[in-house]
Amino acid sequence: MLNVLIIGVGQCGNRILDAINKEAFGGGRFSKYYSSQKFASRVETIAINTAINDLKEMRNTKAKDRIHIPNLHGLGANRILGKKCFNDNKDLIMRNISERGDFDVAFVISSSSGGTGSSFSPPLVKELKEIYDFPVYSIMVLPFREEGTIYLQNSAFSIKEMRQSGSDGMILADNQYLKNAGSNIQSAYDGINKMIAERILFLLEALDSEMMLVTDLGDFKTVMSGGDGIATIGYAKGDAKTPIRTTIRESISPNGLLFSSNVYEEASRAMIILRGDQKYLSIDDISAEIDKLSSHIGHVFKGVIIRNGETPKVLSVLTLESTVELEKLYALAVEAIHIEKDKRKRVALQNETDTTFSMIDGLEPEY
Amino acid sequence: MKKNHILVTIILFLVTLFLSIGPVSADEMIYSEQIDKGDGYQINNYVIHLTNTITITGIYPEIDFYELKSDGSSLELDSQTTLKNDKFYITFEKGTEKIKIEVENATLSHVILNIEIIDIIVEYKTPVDGGISNAKYIGEPNLILTKSVDKTSVDVGEVIRVTIKAKNTGNGVAKRINIDRGLTPDFTFKSDIYTSYPTELDVSNKETEMFIYEIQATKAGTFQLGPAIATYYSSVFDDEYTSKSESLTITVAEEPIETSEIKLSVSTDKTKLKRGDTVKFKVNVENLKDVTASNIRIEPIIPKNLTYVSGSEEIDIINEKPIIQVSSYGGYYKAEYLLTFKADQIGNDNLIVKWTYNNGVEEISDNTTSEMVFISQGDFDFLAQFPIYVYITPIIIILALAGWFYWRSRQFRI
Repeated sequence: MLNVLIIGVGQCGNRILDAINKEAFGGGRFSKYYSSQKFASRVETIAINTAINDLKEMRNTKAKDRIHIPNLHGLGANRILGKKCFNDNKDLIMRNISERGDFDVAFVISSSSGGTGSSFSPPLVKELKEIYDFPVYSIMVLPFREEGTIYLQNSAFSIKEMRQSGSDGMILADNQYLKNAGSNIQSAYDGINKMIAERILFLLEALDSEMMLVTDLGDFKTVMSGGDGIATIGYAKGDAKTPIRTTIRESISPNGLLFSSNVYEEASRAMIILRGDQKYLSIDDISAEIDKLSSHIGHVFKGVIIRNGETPKVLSVLTLESTVELEKLYALAVEAIHIEKDKRKRVALQNETDTTFSMIDGLEPEY
Repeated sequence: MKKNHILVTIILFLVTLFLSIGPVSADEMIYSEQIDKGDGYQINNYVIHLTNTITITGIYPEIDFYELKSDGSSLELDSQTTLKNDKFYITFEKGTEKIKIEVENATLSHVILNIEIIDIIVEYKTPVDGGISNAKYIGEPNLILTKSVDKTSVDVGEVIRVTIKAKNTGNGVAKRINIDRGLTPDFTFKSDIYTSYPTELDVSNKETEMFIYEIQATKAGTFQLGPAIATYYSSVFDDEYTSKSESLTITVAEEPIETSEIKLSVSTDKTKLKRGDTVKFKVNVENLKDVTASNIRIEPIIPKNLTYVSGSEEIDIINEKPIIQVSSYGGYYKAEYLLTFKADQIGNDNLIVKWTYNNGVEEISDNTTSEMVFISQGDFDFLAQFPIYVYITPIIIILALAGWFYWRSRQFRI
């Protein structure tokens, strides 16, 4: 049995972590009252935030698993402040982690654009890698592009720092790409969080299950070490009438991925895990489709989890050699940084015009 | 000398007065007139009858003396005839009474007589046509007085009409009748209706109204109306007679005292209820009279299947019983009290309400009863039929679940 550590940092990370815990309880509103979490492995979850209200919002993560970093009510998307805050409190965080025992793998979930998540997660991963020898994977959620220049530049720097932190791999999920998951912002966020949670749980199950065709943590490490250290996850649900090949293709299509990517051109390695009743899982069809994928991207690990009576589901983990979407993001980020610089200059200029006020310096009113 | 003159004058006056009133005394000439043959002259019950005047065979008229009897017969009396100085005298004597007749003159058809009496008190004297055959017995009157009332039982303040009648059942005329009505101080004289009664009454079987007047009852009780008393005199005798009516008994009832009268009724808002339900009884109290009732106490008797819950402000709880105590109810006063009971047991019940009060004269007690209230099984009574574990088990489960949910929610709350 694997020992898994999942850390959700910042509001986004907390919500995804809470969604994972909720799905582990069964997904119902009251499941936590009557059900235990159905993790295949021993899973420890920790939520970290500087904003107490974000921690209070969590409904399915135990109070003992929530660490509040006292810094008023959040960092206001200021990563410089955030990194200082992390350094000031990293002993508290690391002590909490160390008290939870040994782990085989860790996932750090955060937004790339916010305050706490984007500024805490790279140094946190770095600390983990310096202290422990288990692989640490980050799951970073990219912002809506229209959310503003600060979020864009935060994302750019946060992703870069994450790559430099020693992370064993970075799984990207893009809000912009997934924003059609809900009819409004709140339901879109909830939908995205649930979507990511389902994939992570599926992945954890795949790493620690007795499969018909075995994939394990080692396979996952191999997949994640391929490409440019950037990965994404695809997912698809089939039905009794849909051929498994179609479901596999669906999982690696834009509809199934968390991050926009042309798999056949950008992917480097892949791991395809299938779950469902054996009658839906035709080995020939599976092999044919995976052979097709591997002919494009190279090595593809495949695993099959037999669940009697269950319609087929497919999880695909893909590492990317390159990503056009990420380049676009960085281009926007550079533009955002320039905009912010221009704003600073304009503000500085306005400050010079404020010398008008200095005309009365040294004078006192006469009455 | 002067004193002697005055004394003589007084004596002469008294003699004169004595001689002018009162019965005729001895040696009195009472008649000196003509009497025709066959006629007569009556003095009291003595009749002087001129049987014959001068006849051819004699020069003396035939004069007979008779005494009338009360039975209508007559008795011829003996007399003495004397001739003195060519005067013819006829004398009748009985004891000291003496009638002396002097024939003054006589013809074939009549005589002229001088009638002198001695020691006879004359109550009646008159010439009598037809003589003894027409003379009338002169006897004593006897008045029978009757006093009657129009009602013998009256209320205080009521007027009673009193009628006094009299009839003379004697054999002589009652004269100078005077009637004392016999008024009594227990009644107030109201008015006279008729007072003009005759002062003389002949013998008759018919009653004559003498007095009609009205009196008014002034106080309650049984009283005697004093007898009417008549005083009267005979035509013949100078005695005073007295007659009395009977006394009458009049009952005057007590004046009715106005008292208060409290009427009480009880109604209920429902007659069919289930165990555990509440039922309201409304007690309506009314003083029917314009007289204040005092010391009112209204006591509902709690039915065995009901428990008293609450009631109007005026209701006190004394010894765990609802009781209404009011010092007084004015005239025509109305009050309403509400009592709420809870049905505890299955059964039939009605509310009995007792009340006592002083009506101004005495203590009055009464009671009334409401409609019957039928109490049936409550909606949840069937639950009581199950053993205790049926209730305890789910309660324990619920408590355990609640505890679990609380403990669990605490784990997820910061």
